[in-house]
Amino acid sequence: MIRIESGPWQQMVAHAGAAYPNECCGAMLGRIDDAGKTVTIALPLENAYEGPRASRYELRPEDLLRADKEARSRNLDLVGIYHSHPDCDAYFSETDLKNSCPWYSFVVLSIRNGAFDHANSWLPDADQTKAEREELTY
Amino acid sequence: MPKVLIPTPLRQYAGKQDSVVLSGSTVGEVLTALTTLHADLRRQLFNDEGKLRSFVNVYLNDEDIRYLQKDATPVKDGDTVSIVPSIAGGSVAAPPEPATAELSKDEILRYSRHLIMPEVGTEGQLKLKAAKVLLVGTGGLGAPLGLYLAAAGVGRIGLVDFDVVDFTNLQRQVIHGTSDVGRKKLDSAADRMHEINPFVRIDKHEVALSSENALDILRDYDIIVDGTDNFPTRYLVNDACVLLGKPNVYGSIFRFEGQATVFAYQGGPCYRCLYPEPPPPGLVPSCAEGGVLGILPGTIGLIQATETVKLILGIGEPLVGRLLLYDALAMRFRELKLRKNPECPVCGEHPTVTKLIDYQQFCGIPKPQPEAPMTGDAGDIDPTEVKAKIDRGDKFVLIDVREPHEYQICNIPFAKLIPLGELPKHLDELNPADEIVAHCKSGMRSAKAVDLLKKNGFHARNMKGGILAWSDKVDPSVPKY
Repeated sequence: MIRIESGPWQQMVAHAGAAYPNECCGAMLGRIDDAGKTVTIALPLENAYEGPRASRYELRPEDLLRADKEARSRNLDLVGIYHSHPDCDAYFSETDLKNSCPWYSFVVLSIRNGAFDHANSWLPDADQTKAEREELTY
Repeated sequence: MPKVLIPTPLRQYAGKQDSVVLSGSTVGEVLTALTTLHADLRRQLFNDEGKLRSFVNVYLNDEDIRYLQKDATPVKDGDTVSIVPSIAGGSVAAPPEPATAELSKDEILRYSRHLIMPEVGTEGQLKLKAAKVLLVGTGGLGAPLGLYLAAAGVGRIGLVDFDVVDFTNLQRQVIHGTSDVGRKKLDSAADRMHEINPFVRIDKHEVALSSENALDILRDYDIIVDGTDNFPTRYLVNDACVLLGKPNVYGSIFRFEGQATVFAYQGGPCYRCLYPEPPPPGLVPSCAEGGVLGILPGTIGLIQATETVKLILGIGEPLVGRLLLYDALAMRFRELKLRKNPECPVCGEHPTVTKLIDYQQFCGIPKPQPEAPMTGDAGDIDPTEVKAKIDRGDKFVLIDVREPHEYQICNIPFAKLIPLGELPKHLDELNPADEIVAHCKSGMRSAKAVDLLKKNGFHARNMKGGILAWSDKVDPSVPKY
């Protein structure tokens, strides 16, 4: 289960809205304990996909490394990755799956006509063959 | 000794530590030491063949070891080794259809020759059934595409066309028959495709594809196949495909030669990487002007159909980054390497085209003018008026600027044949005092002839609609071609 606090959640929604009609992406920092994951900081990162970004995103490993350092310096953990799906549902697409990593929660925000519609969190497996839905609260 | 930083989710496999200090003189040795110490980490980082999993990147301090010396990159005291996953994604590919889709008994029988090939099999046939392909145009290229993609069992095929079947189509557009002349191409093509395979859903889009409707129409399909014959639509289809992230299976034909490739597929080049700018209008003749061997679109259309099916099945090597050139007279195929242009205005690093534009204007095609004659200019002359001038015995010269083989098909006996290309050499045979009327097949080439004549001081007018209009309005016994 993953819970996103209101501050970072609003930041993620605003980021996704600002990037529309392109996809946005970023890192989620927080804590992991027995109750699950709690996101306390959203860290917007650049969508580095070389090509039309309306339906693709790519995170630079350097940016992710920076996010991990940021988390360590605040005594937090890198909990997950978020990105947006402009004008389509918050499913975990084949492209998402084939470029995923099983270590993090993947939160997908569906943005329709520039406004937030719904979101899901996904946990892909190590072989990139399927992703399970994770309970998400915000 | 170097230190390895452990990402949060992996700490459970590394004794809950956020970093581990290890000995080793190269990155490879450090990683081996790490996974020897914490055996459970091994499965997280390496696959069954012992290679780093595809999503795992290893950084030495701030540098990716792929750009250093990979596993052999030396490490020293105080260095930090980080494990960083590569993460990307996007909404393009929808999740795979649930495995509930099945083939019926009738479908199994019909697709038997696909099902017994392991490269297709039931899984592949279900992919074909779930696929949505849009054919832009149901003409020369669209005809073989429609026939074979329907036969192959592509579940949903969209057709875009607004034209009507005419006799000149039948020499190559084999999806239409003689009894279809006068019918909408959409109806004629859909009937034929359903006759071949009633299991296929066909969606008809009776529109001229435009900047206003293209995204809405293309959005519903997985693959777009371009079977158009004009530059504005070709650029429109290309840009819409790039913007929507959909592959554009391209083909083009002219006389005895054709081209095919797959554009905008998985980061590959697009049509604008190959042709950033359209040719000036009129420079490249259309099939209606230059002719085409009737079989040629069959060959090229089937190359497009093959690529479409390969993309759906995910097999073989797609025709991406390669432009296939076909010369029917030499019976040779050649291949040109195509590269993505980083400066490409639509798919490059800093795109300037981020929405659809006015493609008629981009291709230099003037907006259709109202029927009223141009002011301050003698302008065009109607074929009936030309006929009246001949009958009255007016003193004027009628020149036919078509090619000799066209003159052989039909002609106006009064006309003098001077093909457009020869005209500059024959100017001295014309008298600047005479009134000159030029005609061709439909009025395009003669307009250029009139321009040339006027620039050289002649009084020239263009016969509107060419010999086709002459046949309609003056002499129906003149055959149309």
